[in-house]
Amino acid sequence: MLEKQEPPLLSCRGLTKRFASPAEASGGGFVLANAGVDLDLRAGRVHALLGENGAGKSTLMSMLSGWHRPDAGTLALRGAPLVLGSPAAAMRAGIGMVHQRFSLVEALTGAENLALADGGRVSARRTKELAQRFGLALDPGKRVSEMSMGERQRLEILKLLARDAHILILDEPTSVLAPAEISGLYASLRRLADQGRAVVLITHKLSEIAGAADEVSVLRRGRMIAHNLPRDPALADGWDMAELSRLMVGRDVPDCVASSVPPSCVLGAQDDGLQGAEHSETTLSVRGLTAQSGQGEPPAFADVDFEIARGEILAIVGVAGNGQEALAATLGGMERPARGKITIQGRPYDRALVAYVPEDRHGAGTVPNLTLAENMLLSTTRSRGAIFARGAGSRAARKALEALNVTASGVNALARELSGGNLQKFILARELSKGAPLLVVEQPTQGLDVLAVCDVHAAILKAAETAAVALVTGDPAEALALARRVAVVYRGRIAGVVAAGDADAFERISRLMAGLAPVEAALAEVAR
Amino acid sequence: MGFRFVVEPWTAAAPKRRAALSLCTALAAAGVLGSLVFALAGVAPGAAWLAMARGALGSAYSLSEILVKAAPLTLTGLAVALCCRINLWNIGAEGQFVFGAIASCAVGLFAPAWCPPHLLLPLALAAGAAGGAAWALGPALLKARLGVSEILTTLLLNYVAVLFMEHLYFGPWRDPEGMGFPGTAELPDFVWLPTFGDTRMHWGLPLALVLALALWWLLARTRWGFRARVLGESPKAAAYAGFRAVRITVTALCLSGALAGLAGAGELLGVQHHLQDGLATGLGFTGIIVAFLARLNVLAVPFAALLLGGMLVGADQLQTDLRLPGTAILALQAALLFGALLGEFLAGKRVRVVRTGKREDRHGA
Amino acid sequence: MALSVDLANLALLGQIAVNSSTAVLLASLGEIVTERSGVLNLGLEGMLLLGALAGFAVGAATGDPAAALGAAAFAGALAALAHGFFAITLGANQVLSGLALSLLGAGLTGVLGRDLLGAPGLVLAAIPLPRLSAIPVLGPALFNQPPLTYLALALAPLLWWVLGRTRLGLLIRACGENAGAAYASGVPVRMVRYGCTCFGGALCGLGGAFLSLSYTPGWKEGMSAGQGWIAIAMVIFALWKPLRALFGSLLFGALIAAQFLMQTAGVQWAPVWLLRAMPYLLTIIVLTLVHASPRLRRRSGPPANLGRFFRPEG
Repeated sequence: MLEKQEPPLLSCRGLTKRFASPAEASGGGFVLANAGVDLDLRAGRVHALLGENGAGKSTLMSMLSGWHRPDAGTLALRGAPLVLGSPAAAMRAGIGMVHQRFSLVEALTGAENLALADGGRVSARRTKELAQRFGLALDPGKRVSEMSMGERQRLEILKLLARDAHILILDEPTSVLAPAEISGLYASLRRLADQGRAVVLITHKLSEIAGAADEVSVLRRGRMIAHNLPRDPALADGWDMAELSRLMVGRDVPDCVASSVPPSCVLGAQDDGLQGAEHSETTLSVRGLTAQSGQGEPPAFADVDFEIARGEILAIVGVAGNGQEALAATLGGMERPARGKITIQGRPYDRALVAYVPEDRHGAGTVPNLTLAENMLLSTTRSRGAIFARGAGSRAARKALEALNVTASGVNALARELSGGNLQKFILARELSKGAPLLVVEQPTQGLDVLAVCDVHAAILKAAETAAVALVTGDPAEALALARRVAVVYRGRIAGVVAAGDADAFERISRLMAGLAPVEAALAEVAR
Repeated sequence: MGFRFVVEPWTAAAPKRRAALSLCTALAAAGVLGSLVFALAGVAPGAAWLAMARGALGSAYSLSEILVKAAPLTLTGLAVALCCRINLWNIGAEGQFVFGAIASCAVGLFAPAWCPPHLLLPLALAAGAAGGAAWALGPALLKARLGVSEILTTLLLNYVAVLFMEHLYFGPWRDPEGMGFPGTAELPDFVWLPTFGDTRMHWGLPLALVLALALWWLLARTRWGFRARVLGESPKAAAYAGFRAVRITVTALCLSGALAGLAGAGELLGVQHHLQDGLATGLGFTGIIVAFLARLNVLAVPFAALLLGGMLVGADQLQTDLRLPGTAILALQAALLFGALLGEFLAGKRVRVVRTGKREDRHGA
Repeated sequence: MALSVDLANLALLGQIAVNSSTAVLLASLGEIVTERSGVLNLGLEGMLLLGALAGFAVGAATGDPAAALGAAAFAGALAALAHGFFAITLGANQVLSGLALSLLGAGLTGVLGRDLLGAPGLVLAAIPLPRLSAIPVLGPALFNQPPLTYLALALAPLLWWVLGRTRLGLLIRACGENAGAAYASGVPVRMVRYGCTCFGGALCGLGGAFLSLSYTPGWKEGMSAGQGWIAIAMVIFALWKPLRALFGSLLFGALIAAQFLMQTAGVQWAPVWLLRAMPYLLTIIVLTLVHASPRLRRRSGPPANLGRFFRPEG
């Protein structure tokens, strides 16, 4: 292992953090988010911190950036002990963090946000100069609310650089970016590391570390399973990815998630389904669909046309904020379109014909403080009458729990007591129980751990045997893993439709997501 | 080495215990704050509390008076609690109370001419509920359709309702034989709410208790209640489920207004028998405190109403014994509300003292 | 009877309008600062009363205007501090805490002011500014006013400048829009919020002092008569902008003045009770218009973190 004379820029020893358990029914107690974590960060390195959702990555980094105080353990900055009481204190020590949810003031401009961060004057010129110095393109006079996610991210990084941060921590930085923007980010990070900074990249996607990292640490269930693994020049990816995924998950991982490449087994299953006679039967037809819009603002999406056949999964992919969210809500019946037509099985749109799994599991898909039995009735009850059918709700919820193997203490458990994966499976089971001809699933695996992802994907594939499925996702890999056709949404329009079987599908989807491919060219290809 | 107080969630505390803890804290805090108010007013707190206790609990009559007050307080407390369950603030129970009283007074004054006597009382009560609901309808529609803050609209309408009521009993409805005393004529006794024995306790109290049960049933067992609870917990989930937020909002606020209106009608038909000065004494506003002391649990509302009723009756003694003005009760209610907030904060938490390092944000040079 | 609209009448109208708007303007300016920092304080009605009583009592006792105004501002700030403790430190429900403050103000002033009812005291009368007050119409309207009116008129542009153009304003806005981001940038969020809440309370207390020392000199129970609530509505009408609050308050004052003039001229266009209810009804109508206009609503909404509790350590 690497042992150097010079102490690391930042080193952690035995960091431990407990949180009070949110689930009351579990009898209280504490969740150990981090237990005795060790980590060394060195100047000039890009360090990938790998772990599943809930492994404790964010907690660890929150302790490094001063948001949480560790319950035990020590930090040392260049060998000298360091105690952090607040993010401001961490910033003074040169540690800056870009959270997954940006901490920008949306109502303020870029220049104002920068001035807020570094205590300087609000000056467009100063901001521009700073942005140029670090090669991060930015419009200083634009309000954050009008910026793209990439721009916001650059502003966040710039805020840290303006305060001379020499340790930069980025939490899942690629999750908001189009694939084409990611390489730009990696290049910037590399440049910043070469200038003598330590850069930490938090991620749960193995595919991302190959291109960016110098060393890798793996966190699992709050414990550091392996720390500071250097890149192995003998391997093409730099590390043995199968080994890393085993470290991350703690056991052998099913094929479907071990890599981001679309697994052949899944595609095979799809092809079989498509050879049936029924695949020509159009279930969903969307014509000229246009969202409602406020005065003077463009609609979230406009003139969208597509069809989905029974037994088919169509993925609708886009970078966050390009209108696919509103499209999903419209298909799901939460929003009314301004123009256009949706027909399901030849009939005009009817909410009862749609099963819808919304992106927001805890706020929209379920009510956190109601029981599962009650949540079961949220979207499935259509009977009339004043008294609501509690017994029917309990029975249906019990069935739903069994159908997808949901782990819960019972149908009287509150929705908020379920883990993200189990809640998602519950919602999926509830929606599938309706037997609707159309299933709309939105970001179905965001924030889920690997095994839950597998279950959810399997359920979606199973549903696609009898229904038409619209899969709205920001993750092209997920789209390719499940769907046969991928429609890419860019600035509210379908920029192109890519067949998942094509060899260069990923590349073309990436370009379309970033708005790089001309629309005509893409359409011409689809029309073949 | 320094010390730092850490307030952290105490997950071992069960919900029931937490509720009890919160109530005890609320009362204790209210006691301290109230004593402070008394001290500021130049009255010995001990004497003041003693006077209140004597006033509230000193005689069978005073105990019955508590029940007299508890009836309208239960209803206005239910009105506020119902709205709060849907994240609506009905600060206008006072105005709805007044309008309910006006409506039932109209029935009492003008309906005997054509209405069979045995139908008059139900009609007057229904009119009271309708009047309260009508007074809440405007804010309800503005909130549901345009998003206008119901806090402000319901509150501002309180002033309007009181001005209108004063207009009526100073003007068109004034009793010509009232010897210059402003107020309507006494309502015919067959529209009065029957009383129990020779106390002032009237049938409003059992009615309020029945309505508390009914409201519990409505929220817990009916489809409308389910929808309302979903909307209150998460508007997005309600939209997802396709529930009509506008309709639920309007219904809930009007129902709330009806409850408050009924309280006004009960006060008029059961106690006052005239529309006159002293009808609107803040029973609507006090409903807010009742609701939050009951932690929005409709079945707990009658008990909270008893407590607040006791305070009101006890406070009368402050006026006679210690010459404190009638507004003293407002300060005590504020103390109770602040106490309830403090109790809510401390319930289910424990305070721990931890040793901290030398200085929090010192780092190595 | 015809209304004679001549210059003298117009000047009087203007003077009454500006005068009547002062308390609402001071209170709403204070509330704008409070809300821009992210704290919702619905206790204006109580703070107005506390300020009115404190100003009057100290004024009557000392005869010193500075002491009276200082006491009023202090009383308002102290009350706001109590709200701040519940809202900022305890994370209590801000609506309830504000309501409690309103109740407390009404109750406490009733108890403490019981011996001052109708007592004579200090009066801060109008001070005509030399020369400026000689300008026709505008002169008497703007420059023949009590000192607190001048203060209110000057504060509106000053606060516009502070909130929009200074670093302090940037910090305040950041706390109200995204407390987490502000904190991450090293802004002492809770301190800023305490400061703004107390400042808002002090202004509101001064508004109360205006009522008891200048507008209707003397102490009367409940003398604020809902102006605190109207001021809260004014903040919404003003879209959280000081200059719009100035405009809105003057409009409110003009309505009061018009009503006053018509009453003195004997024009009875509505029953008395409706006239007295007019400020409340008009406030509701104006609120409705603001919400019904998509143009206004899009221009600016409430601060994104208004009324939301911020806890630095999770």
